[in-house]
Amino acid sequence: MSAITVAKKDFRDAIRSRVLIGLTVLFALFTVGGAALASWVSGLFDDASAQSTIELVLTLQAPAGFLVPIIALIVGYGAIAGERESGSLKFLLGLPHRRRDILLGKVLGRTGVVAVSIFVGFTIGLLGLFAFVGSVSLTDYVAFTAVTILFGLVYVAIGVGFSAMTRSTTRAAVGALSVVILFKVVWGIVGMILLSVIEGMSLVESPPDWYLVYNAVTPDAAYGSAIGAVLNRTGPTVASAYDISTVPLVAEPWFGFVILAIWAAIPIGLGLWRFDRVDL
Amino acid sequence: MSAIDISGVTKRYGTELALDGLDLTVESGEIYGFLGPNGAGKSTTINLVLDFIRPTRGDVRVFDLDVRSDSLEIRNRTGILPEGATLYDRLTGRQHVEFAIESKAADDDPDELLERVGIADAAAKKAGGYSKGMAQRLMLATALVGEPDLLILDEPSTGLDPNGAREMREIIREENARGATIFFSSHVLGQVEAVCDRVGILRDGHLIAEDTIDGLRDSMPTQTRLRVTLDRIPDDSASALEAIDSIDGVSSVEPEGRTLVVACEDRAKTTVLRRIEDYGVSVEDFETDESSLEDLFVAYTSDSAGSAGVIQ
Repeated sequence: MSAITVAKKDFRDAIRSRVLIGLTVLFALFTVGGAALASWVSGLFDDASAQSTIELVLTLQAPAGFLVPIIALIVGYGAIAGERESGSLKFLLGLPHRRRDILLGKVLGRTGVVAVSIFVGFTIGLLGLFAFVGSVSLTDYVAFTAVTILFGLVYVAIGVGFSAMTRSTTRAAVGALSVVILFKVVWGIVGMILLSVIEGMSLVESPPDWYLVYNAVTPDAAYGSAIGAVLNRTGPTVASAYDISTVPLVAEPWFGFVILAIWAAIPIGLGLWRFDRVDL
Repeated sequence: MSAIDISGVTKRYGTELALDGLDLTVESGEIYGFLGPNGAGKSTTINLVLDFIRPTRGDVRVFDLDVRSDSLEIRNRTGILPEGATLYDRLTGRQHVEFAIESKAADDDPDELLERVGIADAAAKKAGGYSKGMAQRLMLATALVGEPDLLILDEPSTGLDPNGAREMREIIREENARGATIFFSSHVLGQVEAVCDRVGILRDGHLIAEDTIDGLRDSMPTQTRLRVTLDRIPDDSASALEAIDSIDGVSSVEPEGRTLVVACEDRAKTTVLRRIEDYGVSVEDFETDESSLEDLFVAYTSDSAGSAGVIQ
């Protein structure tokens, strides 16, 4: 209950941030651009189902996969460290809130803020799809929005987790930036290197199971898997990427939800553990 | 029953000792002035009471509850004005008070509270546009939410003009009359002498004195404030000031142009005048004031406090 009170206040505060408004506008531009691109690309496919999938992916998933982590980390990294630096945390904790209520409230409040940003970006993307493509499945659109908000929650949790573990926003920002670099750049390169070292090849017809698992466990891959699971058709999942029939459990589309949950739980757990013990 | 009970508390930050075996008791229903120069450990003490930080050693209890395990109940019954009020710039004054009311599950009227601290007209304005004094008033309004049993005010007069400071004291008295215990810190004695039942003086992490204002005054050697006007500023004024400051019984020396203001014990007066003349200047005029409480406080907390023999 106390966490909800904190979340509501935090949402009201953070939603007014100018940076957030800027990022949301950028996100909307990406989805509209994606819709325009989709109308061109999907013409290349004959299959209607493949068309509709590629349209949604280009319009919604690709912009969201790229920008939602960035928006969520920017929204999250200052959540606690920023209040510690400014001193307003003493006001917040002077009121009867447990430290864990503060942390959970921050994750909820800022996820709400990211959800609004996603909602705005996706609504404009939807209008783009109507304009450039002509039709779109509303069910798919809603499923997309829900899973993307979950994806946003994971990155908010990572940002707020860093924010709870350090007393400086600079360090929290460095932590958040490292996560982006790790999952968007380093992870893939390390995977390729491991593959060529262990298997002695870089181009594979049917990659080994460990590589499928390795490539499925990042939040970004888990987002793709989860989308594939809710759309219940061949989305951009590991299985479809390699055209194989059986994949390890971890690389199953539905397991994406489990991976997302783990990625949300780890930073929240570490943040709680640290924040609960530390001197303000 | 005591409202705050601190016993044998030591707080260490790395190698720095912020509090050194502090014992302090605030009785239920009293107004306790917590005095000390900046850096003496006042905020550290308050942070311990609120469980913002944990003691290295010792025990802190509020309402006879453990500050660690019962922090939530303690904070539910306590109103806090943290040092250097920092607000949420993007939220309005009313939203701040509403948040405090919701957090404490209280049923106060936010506008009434804002009215009471004198910023009702700025209720719908974002706190980012508040002056320091308005921010301080807003923090006070949030501290008053839910009629707390204990009010902890850390340097409450920061940013307030004399009128605001007077209104703050009025509210402190009203709250005390309602039954609340007040614990407030300041580095300026003038702010506490008018309202406090008791004062504790903290220096270098120790409580060096604790008494009523009258009791403190009685325990002090008679203090005098000398105003000495010289014919000119001595050539070596820095060393002259230092020489006067080092006289036994002198607690402070302030130059004001050609005039020196010296707070000292009566017995040191002649020595001071003689020492001034050692520097080749002559005294044109001098007058003595009764000691102010400010001098008393300076005497307690300045470096020469030891020689003044006021340590408990």
